[in-house]
Amino acid sequence: MRAFVTRLSGFLLALLFLEAAFVCAAPPEDGAARKLSTLELAEWIDRQFDKAWQEANVQPPAVVDDATFLKRTSLDLNGTIPTVSQAREFLGYDGEHKRATLIEQLLNETKRPQKHAERTAAHWATLWRRMMVPGNTPEAQRAVLFEPWLKEQFLTNVPYDEMARKIITVQQNTPGVTAKGPAMENVVSTPVIFFQTVGGKPETSASAVSRVFLGVRIGCAECHDHPFADWKQKDFWGVATYFSGIRNGAVGDSPLMKIRPENGPKEFEPALLWGTKAEVPKGKTSREAFADWMTSPKNPHFASTAVNRVWNVLIGRGLTDSVDDLDKAPPAERAILDELAQLFVASGYDVKWLITGICKSKLYQRECIAVDETSGDPLPGLRPLKTLLPEQVFNSLEQALALPVARADAGPRFNGLRDQLVARMNEAASNQPDEYRAGVPQALLLMNGRITTEATDLEQSRTLRGVLDAPFLNTEEKLKTLYLATLTRHPKAPEQQFLLEHIRKQPTPEKQQQAFQEIFWGLLNSPEFVLER
Amino acid sequence: MSTFSRRDFVQLSLASAFGVSFSGWLPRLAAAANEAKGKHKACIVLWMAGGPTQTDTLDLKVGHPNGGPSKAIDTAVPGIQITEHLPGVAKRMTDLSIIRSLTTAEGDHDRATRLMLTGHRPGQEGVNYPSLGALFAKELGDPENELPHYVSVSPFRFGGDASGPGFLGPDYAPLVVSGDSNDPEARANLSIENLKAPAGVSKDSMERRFEIAKFLQNDFASSSKGPSVKAHQANYERAMRMIATNAKGAFKLDEEPAALRDKYGRSRFGQGCLLARRLIERGVSFVEVTLDGWDTHADNFAQVKRNCDILDPGWATLMDDLKERGLLDSTMIVWMGEFGRTPKLNMTGGRDHFPLAWSVALGGGGIKGGQVIGDTGKAGTEVVNRPVKITDFYATMCAGLGISPAKENISPEGRPIPLVDRGGTVIAELATAPEKAAKGI
Repeated sequence: MRAFVTRLSGFLLALLFLEAAFVCAAPPEDGAARKLSTLELAEWIDRQFDKAWQEANVQPPAVVDDATFLKRTSLDLNGTIPTVSQAREFLGYDGEHKRATLIEQLLNETKRPQKHAERTAAHWATLWRRMMVPGNTPEAQRAVLFEPWLKEQFLTNVPYDEMARKIITVQQNTPGVTAKGPAMENVVSTPVIFFQTVGGKPETSASAVSRVFLGVRIGCAECHDHPFADWKQKDFWGVATYFSGIRNGAVGDSPLMKIRPENGPKEFEPALLWGTKAEVPKGKTSREAFADWMTSPKNPHFASTAVNRVWNVLIGRGLTDSVDDLDKAPPAERAILDELAQLFVASGYDVKWLITGICKSKLYQRECIAVDETSGDPLPGLRPLKTLLPEQVFNSLEQALALPVARADAGPRFNGLRDQLVARMNEAASNQPDEYRAGVPQALLLMNGRITTEATDLEQSRTLRGVLDAPFLNTEEKLKTLYLATLTRHPKAPEQQFLLEHIRKQPTPEKQQQAFQEIFWGLLNSPEFVLER
Repeated sequence: MSTFSRRDFVQLSLASAFGVSFSGWLPRLAAAANEAKGKHKACIVLWMAGGPTQTDTLDLKVGHPNGGPSKAIDTAVPGIQITEHLPGVAKRMTDLSIIRSLTTAEGDHDRATRLMLTGHRPGQEGVNYPSLGALFAKELGDPENELPHYVSVSPFRFGGDASGPGFLGPDYAPLVVSGDSNDPEARANLSIENLKAPAGVSKDSMERRFEIAKFLQNDFASSSKGPSVKAHQANYERAMRMIATNAKGAFKLDEEPAALRDKYGRSRFGQGCLLARRLIERGVSFVEVTLDGWDTHADNFAQVKRNCDILDPGWATLMDDLKERGLLDSTMIVWMGEFGRTPKLNMTGGRDHFPLAWSVALGGGGIKGGQVIGDTGKAGTEVVNRPVKITDFYATMCAGLGISPAKENISPEGRPIPLVDRGGTVIAELATAPEKAAKGI
């Protein structure tokens, strides 16, 4: 406990210092907005939504308790549930700024054993990779190799516009990040993988880049004018001309010139979206020129798309729902999104700042709303339950079951079990954070698969063995510990009553142990394990 | 949004009515899983992974240097000859037709597999196309059935897996039946991964686990609502039902007479064909059974004979068995791989990838048997008559199953994607009801 308090206050100091430094470091220049502190950003967010709810005459949901907050932020930032000891520490500590401090810790603490900053960067790399190349597509397996590069960007908090520029302008021989770790030893990770896995052609590049970075679905216009939006074939192929140097998976450059679709009857001129004139300044490649245009603060979609994606991840739905297609956003939603985007631009496209500010808002900390068939569309800003991604499911199992993580122990990360689980879960994973799409094979895997089987086996399970063999824990405390390990909370009274009875009515100590096995199995297979509140 | 049928609601509330009592709803679930509901349209694809040679199977070039050593034999249909290594198939030719003039444009395993299994060239406009298993399962599947609509038996693919549901989503994902080996002991175990409770876990313990899980589900649902909670609960319900009913007993191949199992061939493929029949009987709409080993770049003739020795009894017995049970006229059987193989032999006595002019076969439900479509001439190097495109082939399969090829699914981007790409024409000679299909029933 004491260690946590010291760490907390150390963090708090650093945090206050950082906040002050940020504010001073961003002097307002001719009309440009200054960089808000993360607390100011949190307050700004809450003001917007308090107002919206008041106008709609809606009582917002309560702020969640500490246990829910800990599980939520751990999953959202670290990509996993916390350990039992983390949970005990956090729930037992009573400091005033404990939540803000936890957020800073999860984002910034580099120390062992948790290495939170690294976990968070890895998780956000996964999120970004999945957004760029969805996990259930045939190319996803290869796209995973892009993650080490992305992780490096998040870890060093590279400004978002710079990261985007690096991706757009990558060359075949641009040095990458050498991957370490299971399954990708010494693989060189670079954005080239992005262009290759989306198709490695001018048209697939145009389609992916405009969707990912600009929230524009012009892919439809490859073959015909967009049926619902204003995009024409000339827009799509106009953008594609900028990527003419990307051919057959090789990422190169070529001068900006007309393009003729394969088997197409006519050629298309170079063009940019929203009426910007297509030209390439002397000394620049066409992709450099495209990156200039795309990442410019004047681009109406670039910052808004980024902000909406981060919001979508953290809250469970975008500020406007269609993260891949901002053209569908209603004007009111678009207005608040654009305002937040302006603040993001003023922050210097600081991704960590944006994440921190959102997490510190009361809005982020509110309870999920109960959506059902009759309640219709929820109000903006309110969060639905989120479904864990395949990687989060594995990470959480690893944490809850205390699975071996060192290479020497050849645990699931190294012996193929992790990849099997993630692959099977990916077969039925959604790209929408709030959607649960798993099918029977996924349920059977969690019910009867090897990881669960070993975890509930008295001989092999580290967690179960540890809890059952602890002489200082009575039955109630044992149950509590299993709850902390799996659901990051204590059992509620009815749960405790039902489950304790199940244990106590067993005639022999062996049968009681078996009852614990059954309970542990039930907890791992409960909706609360895979649905984030 | 996940789909959630009314029936799921009924079952959920029933389950909650059992509440926390340990009164054994497991047997009730088992009893609720009733048997066959009468005839439904279904499709079985025999997938020849690697790309089967047409020149040594269904389109022989006797007397030409390109032809192999295998002899042509007469089939049950006068004028149609196939290889001597498929004698069983030859005898059932009245119920089968061969397309000898399929012409496609993908010569790479991965891309060709995706083309043949989705009907679309891969990588077009970033659309994640559904496989035909998912497409047909969606059209034909009975939502009330306890088993998944689409089952894939020991799939094997070169490159990326194209047998998934694509944008149609996990409701139409295949239930994959494992069968990693041809081991005589293991092959009886063609089963669903993780269907069985782990070794050492008794039925009682399993039942108590389910009870605890259901208690936790109900508790969670009382404070958190939303489509994902219901979808999770319904999915676990289905999975528990599968465990409880042992998947309606479909996988108990040892219930079958030993003589019949012998006839199918005691191979993974043969027993997979038998399993396919048992699944179709239990209401499954689409089953794919894979036979690997067709990528014969070297030593083609010996390998093709070995493959045929496994293929012939499985395929032939499947047709007999379905016919005897009155299921052949409602079950379409399709034989295909990702491409054909070069008519000209290479230096190592093998044949290489050849998508230009190759063969597939189809028969049973909705298909007029006993015909040959198209011709690849004396040398087999090109289509000389009646080229068939992938879209024509797909349109014909749709017609056989009574599905309109023009029917559209809506992709997540809101784009209408027709079942069969524009320009596909039903091969009229093969469809028993081409007019109906063309009109879009």
